[in-house]
Amino acid sequence: MSISVLVADDSKLSRRSVIRALPQDLDYTISEATNGKEAIELLAETTFDLLLLDLTMPEVDGVGVLEYLHEQANMLNVIVISADFQPEKQKIVTSLGAKRFLRKPLDKEELAMAMFELGYL
Amino acid sequence: MSIVLPLDEDQRDALQELLNISMGQAANSLAQLIETKIDISIPKISTVTPNELYGLLFETKDAYYTRQSFLGDIHGEVMSVLSQSGLSEVAKLMDYDEPLSKEDIQEIILELCNILAGACLAGLSDQLELTTNLNMPTLFQPEKSNFSDLQWQHTLVMEVQFIIAISSFSMRVVFCLDDESLIRMKDTLDELLG
Repeated sequence: MSISVLVADDSKLSRRSVIRALPQDLDYTISEATNGKEAIELLAETTFDLLLLDLTMPEVDGVGVLEYLHEQANMLNVIVISADFQPEKQKIVTSLGAKRFLRKPLDKEELAMAMFELGYL
Repeated sequence: MSIVLPLDEDQRDALQELLNISMGQAANSLAQLIETKIDISIPKISTVTPNELYGLLFETKDAYYTRQSFLGDIHGEVMSVLSQSGLSEVAKLMDYDEPLSKEDIQEIILELCNILAGACLAGLSDQLELTTNLNMPTLFQPEKSNFSDLQWQHTLVMEVQFIIAISSFSMRVVFCLDDESLIRMKDTLDELLG
């Protein structure tokens, strides 16, 4: 099974860490966005199976991307991976439709568990 | 003589991300204490001379200033700039009674520095697997300090900002590293980037 994943994070190190942490049991087609604006552009032109989304990004932040998906009634599965894990922030992203909230630095096992719960594994 | 050692793009990106993670941990510690949301900025990384550092600290008017040195695998100084505006609202959230005495204000400032600046440095050190020991913060006034006495001619400045959502309070934390520590940090970042 191959799934198309969009990894949106302004940090190259972080994008690399997220891609490395993806469970090996699946094949992936991976696209990368370096900020929220790029992510929205890619989301407008391509259909993805999963969005792995950072929150603190320049141009448009992760909440802006979630708002865009919400406005579009796009039901794409979103896993937020963020260093800003205050309860208030978690509430906002959950209300905008994010399915899971994972803390940075990303734990491989937690990502695998989240993907399992969302039915990818 | 001081050497200027700019970070390359990958090193800067990695350091920015590690700082971002450390800030998140620091903001969460304070948010839990005062049960209020803290907004965090995207970290800024630059190289400045002591004069430029002075200008950077003075960008914020009507502020309290603290500095605290740290030693260990890397050494340098953490300077915090706390806005006077909004501090009494933060004090209320921290269960201080009004009116605030001079001692209360000093205690609140030092506590905020310990929570935010301290946690930020601890988070950064942990992720880089470097040992650092942070000394107690002390209040200072930049206009009465001689920045030319600093032991570096150029320094790496990592600047982060915390904003407490329901008040006008904000705090900037500036980490200063000398050349020797910068070399150590660059090597560690390169190992991490592998």
